[in-house]
Amino acid sequence: MADVHQIPVTVLTGYLGAGKTTLLNRVLTENHGKKYAVIVNEFGEIGIDNDLVVGADEEVFEMNNGCICCTVRGDLIRIIAGLLKRRDKFDAILVETTGLADPAPVAQTFFTDEDVRRKTKLDSIVTVVDAKHVEQRLADSGEAKEQIAFADVILINKTDLVDAETLRNVEARVRGLNPFATIYHTARADIDLDKILDRGAFDLARILEHDPCFLHGHAFDPTHDHGHDHGHDHGHDHAHEHHDHAHDHGHDHGHDHHHDAVNPVHDAEIRSISLLAETPLNEQKFDTWINDVLRTKGQDLLRAKGILNMAGKDDRFVFQAVHMVSEGNYTGAWPSKDKRKSRLVFIGRKIDPKVEAELKAGFEACVA
Amino acid sequence: MAHQKAQGRLVSWDFGDFAVAAAQNGRLMAMAFGDGSIRLFDSETPDAAPTVVSAHKGACLALAADIEKGGFLSGGDDGKFLKIAAVGTVETLWEGKGKWVEHVTAHDGAGVRVFSVGKVATILNKKGEMRELTHASTVGGLAINLKGKRLAVSHYNGVSLWWLASAAAASVLEWRGSHLQPLWSADGDYLITAMQESALHGWRLSDGEHMRMTGYPSKVRNIAFTRRGHHLATTGSDSVICWPFSGSGPMGKAPVEFGTVGEGIFVSYVAANPKLDIVAAGYEDGSVLVGQPGSANTIGIIDASGSPISCMAWNPDGDRLLIGNEAGAVHFADFRG
Repeated sequence: MADVHQIPVTVLTGYLGAGKTTLLNRVLTENHGKKYAVIVNEFGEIGIDNDLVVGADEEVFEMNNGCICCTVRGDLIRIIAGLLKRRDKFDAILVETTGLADPAPVAQTFFTDEDVRRKTKLDSIVTVVDAKHVEQRLADSGEAKEQIAFADVILINKTDLVDAETLRNVEARVRGLNPFATIYHTARADIDLDKILDRGAFDLARILEHDPCFLHGHAFDPTHDHGHDHGHDHGHDHAHEHHDHAHDHGHDHGHDHHHDAVNPVHDAEIRSISLLAETPLNEQKFDTWINDVLRTKGQDLLRAKGILNMAGKDDRFVFQAVHMVSEGNYTGAWPSKDKRKSRLVFIGRKIDPKVEAELKAGFEACVA
Repeated sequence: MAHQKAQGRLVSWDFGDFAVAAAQNGRLMAMAFGDGSIRLFDSETPDAAPTVVSAHKGACLALAADIEKGGFLSGGDDGKFLKIAAVGTVETLWEGKGKWVEHVTAHDGAGVRVFSVGKVATILNKKGEMRELTHASTVGGLAINLKGKRLAVSHYNGVSLWWLASAAAASVLEWRGSHLQPLWSADGDYLITAMQESALHGWRLSDGEHMRMTGYPSKVRNIAFTRRGHHLATTGSDSVICWPFSGSGPMGKAPVEFGTVGEGIFVSYVAANPKLDIVAAGYEDGSVLVGQPGSANTIGIIDASGSPISCMAWNPDGDRLLIGNEAGAVHFADFRG
């Protein structure tokens, strides 16, 4: 088969009123030199008559006899197949989801359907969070948590409506749910669109360079195990205290004004871990192991992402998964020799210390 | 396996737009494209350049023979359901702003035209009367049985069977999953669907007995019954998988296959010949061959071009084959003497 150009897809999630429509309107009207096909769930909200805006029905389909991890968006499969037949080509696709949507079926669509997978590529999941109301949303909705946990990029929007302390708390809460996402602070969804659209492997590169200590690095240390057993809020607060300034993560937050890095406020339910291997991995071993992990734990694992250093290969192996579905490809050379190491992150539920230890041991056993 | 070279002539064009669908209506054949155009080919003069009809504003999504001689029906992402007359004139039969007309079909004996938009399939009779059939989820495909009595509408979790001449509610054939192209067996005894997952599902209508046809490494994009319905030819693998439907029926029988152009190069379209028990198979690499279920002998029609074959149609005599691919390369193969 000849190589097919894969059109990048950005999935836009976020609760109703968070600012998705404002952002969409900007994508459609601003002169950014790119042509986007935009798949929206509500036609009415977009005040623009544009051939490339398509309404979706949010039809979530179960495949393979109802396995929850194999749910896909049937309407997206049809719409994308239709869009790809057009003459007036577009550079990228933006998919808006309703505020109540579970982002998993959307993301899984891009891994599961062959035609979609062959011709498009999930570039990133962007979640817009309303700084003023996010706490409330997180308290009363599982979807709001998942939307944050799934994200590659998070816009904490409406920052002009809250004070600095609220904003810090919001960021701490968001970080606790997803330490790997790039966070931007915005008012009226005002952001340089290059930062959220067609980002390529940018996130994965960030993961690799992430300071593991910022994650739950100390949990790898057996002497600290107890600190994480019980998913209670206070236990975490204090466990992180001493890490406070050890890592200034200001570089993560691309927003313009400076602010102090926050301590993530961990979620009782959704946790994340980062695994690191300095020795090259055996591709076959990794493949067998990760397939087993996704098969047995995929239900609880929202996302997995990694950049891996496979023995005997010059290129980076980039891996990502949504629940049980995954993809991995060699995507170009390593930037420099000294950075050749493997990092894999998981975000999900039920990642208790036992599971974490299992994942760590399994990953480390994949070395060549 | 012997690949013979085809006898006959091949006329080729490059139209540059995605070839969405092909159909025949007697002497005239048609192909619908991603730029909204429909080209009409006269099968008596395969060398002649086709007539170009500007049909849809966006992409064509569906094409079928009309109930009028030499005419065609098309649906597009401009929300239009169109009738293209043999002379190339265009008439809008229905229009819905912001909608996509995704599936179209017709039956000349029954005198009906059918199109679907989202969850609604609409039957249009000759008097211009419309009957809207609403389903619980988006329509995945339409098929009228050969006798022109029943309309099968596939959707999520099954197929609804409607009587064309009766206002009675649909009887629903249930099976979990998303059902796409529906197809009736020639005798009307079976209904088969290609599914979103890599499988087919079938029902024996006499008793509702299920048939599962699985084992495909890839999504089954289209299916076709061979002449008289002896075999169901299917895409979805790197050879044409053919399920036997002759004799005592298909239950419990293993499929036969034919036609491989290379390991992992999947069949992307199949078109059964109307006169002989042969099938044209198009592949993801752009090659096309003709073969027979269970036979090792195949005839190469066109070589790999890199772009997947997306549609094909035989003329009624079965001696000419219209072929289109995703990049807009179109071939007219003429097998006459």
